[in-house]
Amino acid sequence: MTETTEQAKEGLWGREGFREDPYVTAESLEDAGDAAAVILPLAAWLALPEDVRFDTNRKIGVSIAPGEKIDPLLPSLDRIPLIALQFPAFNDGRSYSKAELLKSQHNFKGELRAVGDVLIDQVAYMLRTGFDTLKVAHAVTLSRLAAHNLHDAPVYYQPGRGSHTVPGAYSWRRIPGA
Amino acid sequence: MYRYDEFDHAFVSARVEQFKDQVERRLAGELTEEQFRPLRLMNGVYLQLHAYMLRVAIPYGTLSSRQMRKLAHIARHYDRGYGHFTTRQNLQYNWPALADMPKVLDELASVEMHALQTSGNCIRNVTADHFAGAAADEVADPRPYAEILRQWSSMHPEFSYLPRKFKIAVTGAERDRAAIQVHDIGLQLKKNEAGELGFAVYVGGGQGRTPMVAKKVRDFLPVEDLLTYTTAIVRVYNLNGRRDNKYKARIKILVHETGTEEIIRQIEAEWEAIRDTDLKMPQRDIDAIDEYFRAPNLAQRPEGWSKLASERKADPAFARWVDQNVTPHKNPDYGVVTISLKPIGGIPGDATDAQMDLVAEIAEKFSQDEIRVSHEQNLVLPHVAIADLRIVYDLLLTDGLATANAGLITDIIACPGLDYCALANARSIPVAQRISERFGSPERQSDIGELKIKISGCINACGHHHVGHIGILGVEKKGEELYQISLGGSGDEICTIGDITGRGFSSEEIVDAVETIVDRYLEIRADKEESFLATYRRLGAAPFKNALYGETANAA
Ligand code: HEM
Ligand code: SF4
Repeated sequence: MTETTEQAKEGLWGREGFREDPYVTAESLEDAGDAAAVILPLAAWLALPEDVRFDTNRKIGVSIAPGEKIDPLLPSLDRIPLIALQFPAFNDGRSYSKAELLKSQHNFKGELRAVGDVLIDQVAYMLRTGFDTLKVAHAVTLSRLAAHNLHDAPVYYQPGRGSHTVPGAYSWRRIPGA
Repeated sequence: MYRYDEFDHAFVSARVEQFKDQVERRLAGELTEEQFRPLRLMNGVYLQLHAYMLRVAIPYGTLSSRQMRKLAHIARHYDRGYGHFTTRQNLQYNWPALADMPKVLDELASVEMHALQTSGNCIRNVTADHFAGAAADEVADPRPYAEILRQWSSMHPEFSYLPRKFKIAVTGAERDRAAIQVHDIGLQLKKNEAGELGFAVYVGGGQGRTPMVAKKVRDFLPVEDLLTYTTAIVRVYNLNGRRDNKYKARIKILVHETGTEEIIRQIEAEWEAIRDTDLKMPQRDIDAIDEYFRAPNLAQRPEGWSKLASERKADPAFARWVDQNVTPHKNPDYGVVTISLKPIGGIPGDATDAQMDLVAEIAEKFSQDEIRVSHEQNLVLPHVAIADLRIVYDLLLTDGLATANAGLITDIIACPGLDYCALANARSIPVAQRISERFGSPERQSDIGELKIKISGCINACGHHHVGHIGILGVEKKGEELYQISLGGSGDEICTIGDITGRGFSSEEIVDAVETIVDRYLEIRADKEESFLATYRRLGAAPFKNALYGETANAA
């Protein structure tokens, strides 16, 4: 029961474990002060002049709410260092499709981050749809991740990323006995 | 039949282990009921009026005898000695304890079964024609494709938190026995002019509070494109389906609000981007799965027909059962037997542990070890030699399983209703039982002919009332349980949503009202060959409304 009583604090997790988060999340650049790396909401990001938005001295990432489209980002994906897709509620699955689109269809090479109400049971799905990092607030999720207990399945039926990426090792294409 | 390999075994046992952990976390208070809910739902566990309920997936309704015996065993040891076969070709247990659930799932896993994706906002158990692989009229067996869809959709990382549940049905014949046009995606196998196999694709059908017939979005989709195209459809839905209102969250509403042309454009655009990815299936992938569903080697049994002729003459009850419950098989020496789970006055779809064991035994001896569950809540023995019909009938008779009413007025679909369901307005089961008793006489039923009555206890329409030839819906008006009648619905290839007749009837009146409708039909049908539905389609609702409410009320 220590897990639930422990004070929940946010942590940034990637495949190698927890790490320092260089980014500051802010409503606007002014609010961010002189932070070297900032995550802005989509509207604030769009409102920036191009030279500020893609300023090479400063990393500016974009945060996308479930109801917002990724289309405005597509023309400049190679210049965006980070996209944060939000999960304000665990049952809103739109960000999974956006992750899949960004990584598979649009070849986004920057950091793709999941932010919000992340249940441990969803972590494997997030990795498989292409998320690189998770910004986690849920206490149980934090402690299980710290213990490297990913709740991952040993095998998957679909092609995907995450922990199992052996080509052909999924679904009907697996070769029995091979 | 499909057999698990190491891969499926590893997958299912890992899921059971995960769910054990989730149940433990719930029992320990680490998970709130709200957080536990989507997790238990993904494992088929519902919370109902009286208890947790477990819904077991029977992919495309196909079962072996061994699996059926296990279902009987679970009914005996973890439930109250029975199970309920549902319109989604699943089996529901109404009384297992939450703490027992992991054990039950272990038991299921031991016979290659599970309860995954029988609820929750994910892609649900894929359903198919219950006569698949046996029916004389089929173009191709739909089950290999249903199995491919099952695998592809299992724990799909992108599609496990959809706006709402998502149901796919596949049929392999022109004659639609899987109600594909009231599913989120309906697939009909067909051949094009070149003789190649593909699907007509329907999207956006559904029942519930806003019933809709699906729109055809593609007349011919080559089989190799099944998964890429399905992915495109579900992705468009996941991104754009409404999440603000659970009653408007199904894909049917998205299709309706977006417009068919525009939704087709979006699906096709998404598909163009992914049609040549890893999910495109080379023929050898399909062949590998097809192999599991190879038709059994059926011995020649030509002696059956002369044997049957004399057996029929000797026993009119048997003859009636053959006429009603046996359908033509691909192989002329064989028949497809429907085992009615609708005894006169009984609970539609319920089977006791002993009945399940009996069906398992019969299937093992006389039906190539195969059983099907139909969406009409009956069981099917797909491969019975004509020569064995009599002995199968006699065995079924020993435990009340030989009711000769498949497709007749007493073959009623009814949802659990107020007897079990937390959402119900009214009872469904007792109404079904009383109608069944009223029309129970074999002569009367056979005179009336094909007539599908379907009953739901509330507008969610689990009992398919929208597509009943006569549909009955439980509603609540000023604290009173009322039953609304709709007529002319149909869930087959000419799919229609029934028309509501008018004011509802009380529980006391409803059976009389049904009888009034049936009597009117008998008066006005062109001849005995004209079914209720055909008569309704020819004459419309007026004669029936007049019979129910009187000429003047109807004119007003
Ligand atoms: C007793 C517990 C049950 C509950 C709480 C329940 C709940 C629901 C709800 C809320 C819907 C409406 C979904 C929507 O329109 O978005 C629905 C639809 C449906 N349910 Fe159930 N159900 C139950 C049992 C069953 C059973 C036993 C069957 C099979 C006999 C069944 C089969 C269906 C079908 C076929 C539909 C309508 C088709 C469609 O999805 O459009 N349900 N159910
Ligand atoms: S139709 Fe309504 S009453 Fe019947 S089972 Fe579904 S939700 Fe319950």
